[in-house]
Amino acid sequence: MPPALQPSLAFVASEHAQPQAASSEEVRKAALRSLLACARPAFGAAHGVRTTSVTGAGQIVAAAFLRCALAAWAGLLLGGCGGGGGGSPPPPPPSPPPVSPEPPSPPPIVVPETTAAERFPGGEATTSLSNEEAFGQSPEAIQQDFSADANFKSGNQIFRNSHDGEGPLLNARTCQGCHTKDGRGAVPPNQETPMDSMVVRLGLGIDGDEATIPDPNYGRQLQTFGLASFIGDDISAGLSAFGEGAGEAIGEGFALVEYETIEGAYADGAPFELRHPVVKVRELSYGDFAEGIQFSARVAPQLIGLGLLEAVPEADIRSLADPDDADGDGISGRANSVFDPTEDALRLGRFGPKAGTASLLQQTVNAYRNDMGVTNRFVPEEACAERQFSCQQVALQEENPHPGNVDIGDVELALVEFYLRLLAVPERRGFDEAADVWEEDVQRGRTLFFETGCGACHQYRHVTGTAAGSVLGAVELNTLFPDAPDIAVLSEQTIFPYTDLLLHDMGGACEPVQREAADGGFCAANDNCVWALRCTGLADGKPEGLASASEWRTAPLWGLGLVKIVNERATFLHDGRARTISEAILWHGGEAQRSRDAFVAMNATDRSALIAFLESL
Amino acid sequence: MLNNRLFPLLFVGLLLLAGCEGDDGTTGQQGPAGPTGPAGPTGPTGDQGDPAKAVTRADVLRTNANIAYAAYGDSLLTALSLRTSLRALVADPTEENLAAAKSAWLASREPYGQTEVYRFRGGPIDALLEDGSLGEDGDGPEGAINAWPLGEGLIDYVANSVDGDAGPEIASSVAGIAGSIIADSNSFPNVNGSVIRDNFELGGDERNVSSGYHAIEFLLWGQDLNADGSGGGRRDASPGQRPVSDYSTRLGACTSGINPAPDDICVRRGQYLLAAADLLIDDLSRVVDAWNPNGTDNHYANFVAGGDQSLALILEGMGRMGFGELAGERMNIALLTNSQEDEHSCFSDNTHRDILLNAKGVENAFKGEYTRLDRDVLEGAGIDDLLSSEAMPELANEMRAALEDTLIKVGVIDQVAKAGEPFDNQIQRGINEPNVSAAIRALSAQTEVLERVIAGLGVTTGNLRQDTEEDI
Repeated sequence: MPPALQPSLAFVASEHAQPQAASSEEVRKAALRSLLACARPAFGAAHGVRTTSVTGAGQIVAAAFLRCALAAWAGLLLGGCGGGGGGSPPPPPPSPPPVSPEPPSPPPIVVPETTAAERFPGGEATTSLSNEEAFGQSPEAIQQDFSADANFKSGNQIFRNSHDGEGPLLNARTCQGCHTKDGRGAVPPNQETPMDSMVVRLGLGIDGDEATIPDPNYGRQLQTFGLASFIGDDISAGLSAFGEGAGEAIGEGFALVEYETIEGAYADGAPFELRHPVVKVRELSYGDFAEGIQFSARVAPQLIGLGLLEAVPEADIRSLADPDDADGDGISGRANSVFDPTEDALRLGRFGPKAGTASLLQQTVNAYRNDMGVTNRFVPEEACAERQFSCQQVALQEENPHPGNVDIGDVELALVEFYLRLLAVPERRGFDEAADVWEEDVQRGRTLFFETGCGACHQYRHVTGTAAGSVLGAVELNTLFPDAPDIAVLSEQTIFPYTDLLLHDMGGACEPVQREAADGGFCAANDNCVWALRCTGLADGKPEGLASASEWRTAPLWGLGLVKIVNERATFLHDGRARTISEAILWHGGEAQRSRDAFVAMNATDRSALIAFLESL
Repeated sequence: MLNNRLFPLLFVGLLLLAGCEGDDGTTGQQGPAGPTGPAGPTGPTGDQGDPAKAVTRADVLRTNANIAYAAYGDSLLTALSLRTSLRALVADPTEENLAAAKSAWLASREPYGQTEVYRFRGGPIDALLEDGSLGEDGDGPEGAINAWPLGEGLIDYVANSVDGDAGPEIASSVAGIAGSIIADSNSFPNVNGSVIRDNFELGGDERNVSSGYHAIEFLLWGQDLNADGSGGGRRDASPGQRPVSDYSTRLGACTSGINPAPDDICVRRGQYLLAAADLLIDDLSRVVDAWNPNGTDNHYANFVAGGDQSLALILEGMGRMGFGELAGERMNIALLTNSQEDEHSCFSDNTHRDILLNAKGVENAFKGEYTRLDRDVLEGAGIDDLLSSEAMPELANEMRAALEDTLIKVGVIDQVAKAGEPFDNQIQRGINEPNVSAAIRALSAQTEVLERVIAGLGVTTGNLRQDTEEDI
């Protein structure tokens, strides 16, 4: 039995053994203990081979750990949705599923009838392009409205530009520097190249208001670069160096991802390999991380259709939530709830891999400040952590040209927001126009998609409500006018994003981030150590708002087949670990385990039909 | 080579009358072009005129396509002259030859700037494939010909500190290159066209512009540093200051700006320059071919047969070029962000010409007129004539007045720049800089009239969903 199939068996077995005696919370804790217990020796034995573990001993050790650990988290699932927080304050305990003598029978799986509208997943906000420019287009209606066209193009220009007052610490100098051609970023090609379209989020758990507690030395995000990296042609100039951050604002640390190979096989014997990431940070410039530090590594996502997702009525999304799995289909679905400073209100979380922001504007202003050091009306403080005095000193010397002493003004923000809202969704491929039918494998794949339960979370269809104009106002060239009108091309559209925008437990758990020497051995405090995050499954060990360490927002699937056309280096999932769509499916666990297992059980023809369907999105 | 003889005499006669004698269009007793003008009593649509002689929509398409051929043709001719000058410079790097090469580059921009109104309409510049057929937006050679702003550090040495970005958007996109293409003789033993093509948008990074007008501009002028060699601070009026010794063929005399460089670098720089010119010529030639009026299966043929769909494309290109691209992206954002990086021809400080020529292109499309390099005036059926022949002479005149106002306002930017204050200085005073703002406002007003012209003519470009049954 290939190791990667093991956990699914464990899952199936445990499913039949409904826990009667122990409370679900006890089971969850016990499972977590056993997970951590099996993790330690497994990784202890791996010392010395880890960095070369793409082959040989490390692989076996990794597989052994995974076998043990995955069996443990299968137990965890019984205890409810939340995974372990990796030694940090645990996330708010999720509600356990009801243990009733007669669980409700799951709703039957329905394969919705194919409609012609599905060819245009963004409704009127669809673009006909399918080349490398496919993610950067505005809808036809915007192109024909010269004023809207100007705002879109202006927003694009700002999206590509650097800004006065950026830094002192940053991850990228421009938006497009991460979102390559409005598409996905990429994992660095090797361990010597700094992360430039990927970030490591930091935290010390969640406070009483569900806000991430910042690390006193590093804040909530590791900024890889100092401004000096981008001046001249020597990008290493502003990179981190152990203990050097006291004097000048240089990058906070060097983050990298090491991969261990997991081997597995489909039911028909065809082998596959997965890259299991270990996230590491070294050369910390501003002292050690605080005890209990948490990491979450994230690749910049593609940006299509965000204005449409923003226009899906909140009530529609909430109606899909099923936190206690009342319908017994094994899928919970929880809504995140976040404070949105742009609306000054607590709202449904929609954007980001853990639905940590409520609006596109909030996502944008956070990215400006956290990723680029560009302060703005909503996040006016520079991205210098509490104890980063050199960063604070440099920040004081910055020119902050806009009212409120910030780096970017409201007109520019409104233009970028408009641009992002209007990035159209590409038309589907795989439709035979002459015969007026979908290609056979695409059609077959669609059926398989729904039959195997993928559609339970990847909700294929929504109808948008009224897309209100920006809270910032309507831009006309360089002026903002109050009361921006609604955006018709985003309103009342039937769209096919394949997401419910809800959080789901995707399985896995993490060890606490470990401070270690470069060879994996002991490293004393303040001794240029390496900090490593090791997890099983998709979990990252870092809660965000109401999202637990193993919960993720269902990723929209539209545009999936063009991701690599737009950026050939792009890979899939939140941290880019999956090199192909198949690998991304194989990483699904937790609530998606059964669908993933169904994929493993398919024969080669069905698998390729399913992929053909996903590629056509 | 096109000339007036290719056009029916009818149009020439009509247009000479229509173009010159306009009044304000609102008080004219006999139509804006007088009694024999298109709307006058004895004009083709007047009581005493012959409607069969009126300008038709098909006439407008043909003129628009003819001008495309002529303007791209002139761009190709000036690119050929540019290459001749570049060859002279590389063979004999003297101050005179550098100055001549710069003049040739500036001359090459004059026709090209007027072709940009043929963008944003699914035409060859945006969508032409290698095989001569049209693909999708973005498949065409526009980027390879005219992309900006540049991460010029990919091509050649850059100053330590500049106002703007000398590097790529994605830091790691150039990670495999030691310094620049010209400097890295290990990765690129030969500098030639395929190296330049292969590194265009390297790593998917749109700032890695290795080819086109602006790559050549950078290799002639160098970065737009101040006269004292500084890159930041208050901008002065000087363009880039690349010394001719950057191309030196004398042993031990090669430089990279103020620093001495190995002889090999000057050789490679010269190779880059000439290879980039070859590519520019190749790309422009393909676009010219697509607009060749004698073609039977090319874009010209398809376009002139395209009816109202093609007419809508003309108008859409005029609107999107005039407003979104020129007023918005090229002027307003430069003004808003006070960013030299947003200056179109930043190395040479020639942005004032880009702005004027872009605006001129829109006017050309409206009037159905274009003045060729040899001063031969190509005149045919314009949108103005069409409006008159479709009984909207006042609208024709309103649009003429709006375009004239724009040309006057961008003319001020052009004038001020020629008198010693280049565009990057004009934007520097802040967002209320009056000359630039006035031009933006004029383009905005022009666009509002254009929207009424589109409504008046009742055309719209094809909508994606038109042929789809919405069944939900």
